[in-house]
Amino acid sequence: MLQALWDNLDYVAPVVLFCIGLYIIIAKNNLIKKFLGLNIMETAVFSFIIALGVVDGGDAPIMGADARAPFASPVPQALVLTGIVVAVSTTALALSLIIRIYRQCGTIEADELREME
Amino acid sequence: MKKAFVAALLIITAIPLLIGVAALPPHGETTAPVHTHISARYLMRGAEEAGADNIVTGVLLNYRGLDTAGEVTVIFTALVAGLAVLITRRKEPGAKADSAARGDVPAPPPVSPVVSFVVQLLAPFIALFAVYVILNGHVTPGGGFQGGAILGALFIALTIVLGEGRTRSLMPRLALPWMQGAALISFVVVGVLGAGLTGYFLGFPAEASLHLVRELMMLVLEAGIGLGGAAIFATLFLQMEAE
Repeated sequence: MLQALWDNLDYVAPVVLFCIGLYIIIAKNNLIKKFLGLNIMETAVFSFIIALGVVDGGDAPIMGADARAPFASPVPQALVLTGIVVAVSTTALALSLIIRIYRQCGTIEADELREME
Repeated sequence: MKKAFVAALLIITAIPLLIGVAALPPHGETTAPVHTHISARYLMRGAEEAGADNIVTGVLLNYRGLDTAGEVTVIFTALVAGLAVLITRRKEPGAKADSAARGDVPAPPPVSPVVSFVVQLLAPFIALFAVYVILNGHVTPGGGFQGGAILGALFIALTIVLGEGRTRSLMPRLALPWMQGAALISFVVVGVLGAGLTGYFLGFPAEASLHLVRELMMLVLEAGIGLGGAAIFATLFLQMEAE
């Protein structure tokens, strides 16, 4: 088990990053920090998917006169590009909502917001 | 109490993930499933089938073009939703006087002259790089989204350094909606053109003689995505900054 984890260290790092993000979402009180945590989780997932497509000694999947196999898999890269755009969109919307919350309630601390109800 | 709960939750999350990760095929080997199915075909024939040397661009714009069209819709929806959330006050006839009356808003902190000088010095080169990334996306790393992000970041940096008044003129009021929708519009235009040429929405002609048409369609898509992305980032930033 430990040997397998050591061999797949490139996949273990995203798991650690994912847990850091989850910790921030649960433990932090500030809404902006919570969304930073969400962004860290997203980055963890993206780096995991990208790491899946990597080949030892591989090149970027760009054909041309001097392109030489092996190539990294293009599908994870295309998927992650889509994912990043969606992540940016959710972040933008989340920040807009936070600004609105701040304007209405005067605070973005989760516990103070809960007390207000 | 809360700390123990959080720690327990993190451990409960991490253990299944680690077990799953340990069972994956070793990192970096070409025999892994991710390299054997469609990836292999894309790499073998993608350059000629999709018409882009950069296979990632080929996958994004040709094989999965509809998916990218949906993605462009997502950013546009984020812009619409963001503006809907941010703009609360209805514009009344006296709105101009109102904004003038808000002169008591504290001025933003001054920007360091070094930062200001460097940003203004580098701005044309950053813009050139962004255009290069957008228009060369089908043969080199890059593409519309990346170039659009660079362009949007440049606009944000300039706004911070020069102030909103001078960068607003980069986005004229009449052209702004068209710039924000540029990505969607380019997808519709190219999609309909593809439908006329091949019978499928967003279909790219496969004949070798139409190679130039195919390349032109990709360029229009990339330029639309780049311009639209940059305009959307810039608008959202300006709207957030105005608060």
